[in-house]
Amino acid sequence: MEIADLKAELERLHSASFGWALSCCRRDATEAEEVLQTVYLKILEGKARFRGESSLKTWLFAVIRKTAATEYRRRLLRSFRLTDNTDEVDDRVSPFESQTETFERSEAQSHFQGALKELPRRQREALHLVFYEDLSLREAADVMGVSIGSARQHYERGKKKLRESLTRLEMGYGNNWGRQETPSAV
Amino acid sequence: MEIIGDDKKLRALYSQAKVADQSTTPSFTSVWHRTQARALKPRRAFNLSFALVTALLVLTLGSLAAWSIYSNRSRPSQQASTNDSAPTNPAPAEKKAVEVPKDKEDVKTAETLPTPGHDSPARRSIKPRPRRSAPPVDRQLLASDQTTKETTIGTWQSPTVGLLSSPTDDLFKSIPQLNENTNQMKSSLPGRSNDKEK
Repeated sequence: MEIADLKAELERLHSASFGWALSCCRRDATEAEEVLQTVYLKILEGKARFRGESSLKTWLFAVIRKTAATEYRRRLLRSFRLTDNTDEVDDRVSPFESQTETFERSEAQSHFQGALKELPRRQREALHLVFYEDLSLREAADVMGVSIGSARQHYERGKKKLRESLTRLEMGYGNNWGRQETPSAV
Repeated sequence: MEIIGDDKKLRALYSQAKVADQSTTPSFTSVWHRTQARALKPRRAFNLSFALVTALLVLTLGSLAAWSIYSNRSRPSQQASTNDSAPTNPAPAEKKAVEVPKDKEDVKTAETLPTPGHDSPARRSIKPRPRRSAPPVDRQLLASDQTTKETTIGTWQSPTVGLLSSPTDDLFKSIPQLNENTNQMKSSLPGRSNDKEK
């Protein structure tokens, strides 16, 4: 695939990529943008090459996931090394902070984001890929680098846990998040 | 079933989050341009860990090289010191056997004499001194020592030389000539005289 074609494809997938990067970076928009830049740089320099073994979206998401993990580890090491600058790192203000705050003013969304943060990483990833990115479980498994069975387990457990967390967090949400199965359905 | 309803609710929450994220997503062109700028920017040449490892390697190699050079220099000086002590007792083996304690004393004095600065011979064996900076008078002495050494080495004979000689050496050394007749040839053989006696 030529660089111009690849650029067009990346532009088409940019919004979804940013959403996935956000999810991988614990909703830190600055970090997500940095990760996305690094991913594009990897593609430009040929360090990450699409060989057509899967769909471009799946491949791109896998690269984003790996890059985010690497960046996270690097940041963690840096924070351990530069203990004096930890306050500076923690106090960093994201340019998207105000917008995020505006968005999270919505009570339901804030509860939802809180519940998502409680989930283990794999479960959060599986749910995001299925519900947010509209991927199938097989595609989600490809992105996560696990078997489809494992991805399904993460998905099911994540869903259950998210439901429980939402019930616990928002008792006055209006909807009953508990699993109410009709006797006829059992 | 209620679970499907839950899925729908989750999907709705996710789609809300997606819409909110889309409003905060930076434009592709800006991200792409920044990426291209990063690609053009020269990479940091200095890597601290790499520099440390390289410095450590260089130090190790340097110390190894220095050690090998020092050991090579000290070896010839040690050999020289052993050669110096050897001519002090050039007497034959029999004489040696008789005058062992005297020779030992001689060796000791020979070792201690050229280095008056050093008190103990044990210390000298640890750090042998190179003799490059010797004064001219010492050099003359050394030269005379050298000539005596050469003469003693030239006249030296192995103590087992006597075992190799025997009274029948002449017989083995004499080779029969082509012009000799058989009688003359036989006369040179060792068993001929014995036959005549019989």
